[in-house]
Amino acid sequence: MHKKAGPLFYIFLFVFVFVVMFPFLWMLITSIKPLTELFGDKAFIPYTSRPTLENYVSVFTKYPFLHYQWNSLVVASITTIYTVFVASFAAYAIARLKFRGKTIILGTVLAVSMFPQIATISPIYMFLKNVGLTNSYLGLIIPYTTFSLPLSIWLLVSFFRKIPFDLEEAAKIDGASMWQTYWRVILPLAGPGIFTTSILVFIGAWNEFLFSLTINTADKYKTVPVGIAMFQGQYTIPWGEISAATVVVTIPLVILVLIFQRRIVSGLTSGSVKE
Amino acid sequence: MHSNLEKPDKKIDHSVGNVQLKQKKKKLSERSAGYLLIFPSMLLILIVAIWPVLQSFYLSLFDLKLNDPTKSTVHLNYSFDLERYLNSAPFLITAIDQEIQNGHQVDQLTKIKTEIDQFDALLQKDPDLKKSYQTINDKLMDFKSISDGEALISIDKKLSKRYQNMTDNVQQEIKEVTKTAKLEQGEKIVGLSKGLNDALIKSNFVGLQHYKENLSSPRTWLAIWNTLVFTIVSVAFELVIGLAIALLINKAFFGRGLIRASILIPWAIPTAVSALMWKFLYDGQNGIVAHLFEKVGLVDKMSDLLTTNIGAMFSVIFTDVWKTTPYMALLLLAGLLTIPSSLYEAAAIDGANKWQQFIKITLPLLKSSLLVALLFRTLDAFRVFDLIFVLTGGGPANSTETISILAYKVMFSQTNFGNGSSLSVIVFVCVAIISIIYIKLLGADLIQDSNKK
Repeated sequence: MHKKAGPLFYIFLFVFVFVVMFPFLWMLITSIKPLTELFGDKAFIPYTSRPTLENYVSVFTKYPFLHYQWNSLVVASITTIYTVFVASFAAYAIARLKFRGKTIILGTVLAVSMFPQIATISPIYMFLKNVGLTNSYLGLIIPYTTFSLPLSIWLLVSFFRKIPFDLEEAAKIDGASMWQTYWRVILPLAGPGIFTTSILVFIGAWNEFLFSLTINTADKYKTVPVGIAMFQGQYTIPWGEISAATVVVTIPLVILVLIFQRRIVSGLTSGSVKE
Repeated sequence: MHSNLEKPDKKIDHSVGNVQLKQKKKKLSERSAGYLLIFPSMLLILIVAIWPVLQSFYLSLFDLKLNDPTKSTVHLNYSFDLERYLNSAPFLITAIDQEIQNGHQVDQLTKIKTEIDQFDALLQKDPDLKKSYQTINDKLMDFKSISDGEALISIDKKLSKRYQNMTDNVQQEIKEVTKTAKLEQGEKIVGLSKGLNDALIKSNFVGLQHYKENLSSPRTWLAIWNTLVFTIVSVAFELVIGLAIALLINKAFFGRGLIRASILIPWAIPTAVSALMWKFLYDGQNGIVAHLFEKVGLVDKMSDLLTTNIGAMFSVIFTDVWKTTPYMALLLLAGLLTIPSSLYEAAAIDGANKWQQFIKITLPLLKSSLLVALLFRTLDAFRVFDLIFVLTGGGPANSTETISILAYKVMFSQTNFGNGSSLSVIVFVCVAIISIIYIKLLGADLIQDSNKK
């Protein structure tokens, strides 16, 4: 941390950021180009003299794009709220209470988080089809539990462990019950950790593809990633509209990342780094 | 006096015992509270993750095809299709009756008829079977439609054997009758008697047949090979570049927040969206990245990127490296930050150069972060689906088809769930093997209870 950064370093940083951001910048430029400049030699010019919002208009008028976003929002929010709620109890028990078999439980949670989705899809699909839950919100929320619940437990355990034990002891001495201790002492202190976990679970559920692709095939229940991927037709690919849609999807995520970057980083690195 | 002295002692003893009892009770309640609190999570994990994996294995032992009504569910036992039975047996009897009335081969035909009647009676002996029999019969009479699976009933082995014998006998006898004598409706009777065969549905249990087929099919091995190439090459690049970036930005500088945010953006975007974005950048006619690669001389023609085998694999790996290297750098940077700088200062005083410091201090102390990052990345890369599905669809000529893509295609394009499940079990086994290797390398570090420290 004591090393000083020189000008060469800043050039490196600039190149790095540019390479990482280049595809987004290019999509942004493409999205405001008129149709005639999307093909041929003009396709490689990084600016346009005739910017237009045509592509954005047709994204929202020709496709049920707002609806896709609403579906994603509903599914991701419900998944996040319910899994983080259920996981917080388990994580509290694993991190703070003394009982046998914790290592096995945590090992199971970790193992389940490594399960490939494709290995669970055929029974889940057949089950949902038999009970008539394909093409519904619940049809995605149930399978999303497979990855969001282990992730939530794993992250929350590492956050709960960081809360000092002294506070809990003090509460116990004052005669607080276990529930009071959890509700009044642990939960307020774990707030940031729970929030971080929620962001990561939300992003995971928002971005999920395989379950969404197979279970919700009706346009009415498609989520954003599948909806955009299905923009490409059999023979033609409407690149102008795709680039506009990409920009529309990316901007909220960029804002989210900019605001919560510290939290996201602490969530991503907790569990992988021992402090 | 003696007794007086003893009394307080006893009291103390008693209270000590009480405290111990209380502590024991508290421990017990803490333990049961612990189990109570983890119960909902464990139950959910069992239902939505562990059960499906076991079920996948079970399904992979059957010939399961969702678009074929006789194979759309698992039949461990024999089943009997009442619709097909009732569409042939009664008509067969009517036809035989007519022949008998017309005086053709009366003896033999009566024998055949009684044989069929006997079985029919046997079928209706069981009250449950009789009920379904009647329902289906009524529906057929009224020309009502019968839903999938409604006419299927499961029957025991004895009855199915009996049916098999009966149909075999009847067919044999009819054959003989038609050989020796000319019947008015000969052809119709032979046809209807053959129709009886279709009513009996044998178990679709095939054992390890799918595994045998898949493990001897070149397409599966190509998919496994593609998955391995993709995983090893992309993770290796991500590790080396990610570590280099982490080392470079592990210092105080202006604009850390900006770097961190730009690192997070490719990670936060849905993979399907970034795959589509890169598909445009790689496009053979209008793609800027393809254009630049052609200018630099990396490819001969712009269109080579997505239309040749090597070009497509390169494109997929390049996109994955773009998407996850920053994430890798982030994980490794967090590991680097935990190494105390005093170690480097001491090493510098002892005259160690930068390279020696890297080998002797950075790498050993970074080992566990490195392995954890590698574990997660390897597993992610191994089960890759959305990136390849959107970018190349597994093509051209299956050159980027990974095992997950293949399993998806077999399940959802060919609706062959039995075979597809066997492929997904293969993915699961591979993932398990990879995890075991990494966990062996990591030791128990990963799930160590930090409370014990």
